[in-house]
Amino acid sequence: MDTLATTGRKNALDTSLGKKPALLSAENLMLGYGGKTIVDQLSLEIPAGQITAIIGPNGCGKSTLLAGLARLMKPKAGRVLLNGRCIHQQQGRSVARQLALLPQQMLAPDGLTVAELVRFGRQPHQGMLQRWSDTDARHVEQAMELTRVSALAGQPLDEVSGGQRQRAWLAMVVAQDTPLLLLDEPTSALDLGHQLEVFEVIRQLVRQGKTIVMVVHDIIAACRYADHMIAMKNGQVLASGTPDAVVTERLMQQLYGVNCQIMRDPVSGSLLLAGVNRTGHVL
Amino acid sequence: MKTNIIITTRWPVLLLLSGLLLLLVLASLHYASDLTLGETLSALVGKGNLYSVFLIQELRLPRILTAVFSGMALGVAGCLLQTLARNRLATPNIIGLDNGATAFAVASVVAVPVSLATPALALVGAATAAALAFGLSGGPGTQGYRFIVMGVGVGAVFGALTNFMLARADMDSANVAYPWTVGSLNARSEEVIVWLGLALLFCLPLALYLARSLNVMRLSDAVATGLGVHIRRTRWLTLTVTVVLTGFAVALAGPVGMIALAAPEIARRLIASGHVPVPEAALTGSCLMLLADGIGQHAFSPIEIPVGLVTALVGGPYLLWILLRQPGGKTL
Repeated sequence: MDTLATTGRKNALDTSLGKKPALLSAENLMLGYGGKTIVDQLSLEIPAGQITAIIGPNGCGKSTLLAGLARLMKPKAGRVLLNGRCIHQQQGRSVARQLALLPQQMLAPDGLTVAELVRFGRQPHQGMLQRWSDTDARHVEQAMELTRVSALAGQPLDEVSGGQRQRAWLAMVVAQDTPLLLLDEPTSALDLGHQLEVFEVIRQLVRQGKTIVMVVHDIIAACRYADHMIAMKNGQVLASGTPDAVVTERLMQQLYGVNCQIMRDPVSGSLLLAGVNRTGHVL
Repeated sequence: MKTNIIITTRWPVLLLLSGLLLLLVLASLHYASDLTLGETLSALVGKGNLYSVFLIQELRLPRILTAVFSGMALGVAGCLLQTLARNRLATPNIIGLDNGATAFAVASVVAVPVSLATPALALVGAATAAALAFGLSGGPGTQGYRFIVMGVGVGAVFGALTNFMLARADMDSANVAYPWTVGSLNARSEEVIVWLGLALLFCLPLALYLARSLNVMRLSDAVATGLGVHIRRTRWLTLTVTVVLTGFAVALAGPVGMIALAAPEIARRLIASGHVPVPEAALTGSCLMLLADGIGQHAFSPIEIPVGLVTALVGGPYLLWILLRQPGGKTL
């Protein structure tokens, strides 16, 4: 084991962690399908009350890592800790009251309306006999307001636009009312405006004290919205910490095989990549 | 808003319940027109003259219970399996459960003299067909269509086996076995009615419980896991309930498979898309079975048509009409 790298990473984490305890962490996590290992010996802590973005090239294992953290996959080795206890030893419903997941694969049954979808988010809070409470109704209402889909409540999911649909799914996860939300590429296939809408919702959730972990492809969006970044390649964490600490010209070269210059957005102050070109090619 | 939800989800159940009641009254009255409703009801609890008590308790009641129970079981089984596979084609009869149960039941009548009761063998047959269909397709996993294709193949093999056994059997045994192959409510064993009744007593609450998890699994396995659903457990329990209900229903009434396709379809039209219509499918199944049996007894009187043929003759075109009238149903 590369003890040096681990301790170095730990230090970088500690600074961004502050005093808040981690809700979610992984210890020597190994994930894969069949005989193939995708995430290998990975340890990390998710800082509470912040937005963590997982970045990395295609196939680096970031979605697999998220699936492992959300107990969609059983680890081959190591474990995921939720509130200090192994996530796989906890009741499914009790985990679902602490951690919500917005996966990439979602199916909308025919004719399902936006409001009906959002109500599914309350399922972990309902018992067999006690079904729909005022608390449930309030959370559904608030989630739909926050994601601005209240006006679409009665519309079938297959008849609203792509951006609205994504916000409706987000509303379902928000209605779950968990301190922790894992989002797998919440803005993929959305145009710039709709991406911003989703990121603004995410930012508001963090202001309410929630912890967000998201897989993001768009590195500039990640720089702008994330408080904490985890850069992955080949199933390993290459770097983690604040965007300023993680996003360097050298790391971009390692991650994506591109040359670029890191600049600061004159308006928002977040990092930008300029002059991006493939290594060995002249722009 | 809260009361609204309750009203919109409850009225189809009430409607179906009253429809079922009406059919029950009609069915219990139609046998002999010399009994009034009052006489029928008192005969039901053992009062009145011997003739009416015999007529009601020995002839009508078993037949009506057979229709109600088997319709209910097939409706629920179809509804659960369709939802699990997210596919309308995934009904117990299409994936070979009915054929498996029939083949084993026929075998016990004509071919293999075993001490095990025919209904128990029908259950074993349904379980065998299910095990083969799911085993060969690698479990009831996310690829819903795979076990359907496997099931069609398994069903074809069992269907051929049944025909083979009937062709080889002597005339008398073939006649005894005949009701198993078409589906009939006439003179069914009372013992099996009790078996199916008990199975329903266990399986209906379980099905209602599973419906909640299955409902979420319609949104994809990943979303369902996120919402705390135990996917593997739900799958296996659903499959078990389906096999038990189908096995006993076929043991009682024969392969009246059309009910498992039509009842959930009608039930889905009655309620909002945010639910799995288990109670609705159960009641619709019972109604359809009573209705089909009534038609079978009267339409070509004095010849009685087996209920399985009626559901195929009347139910098939009706189902086509429903599907053609409201197109656009792709995902469950």
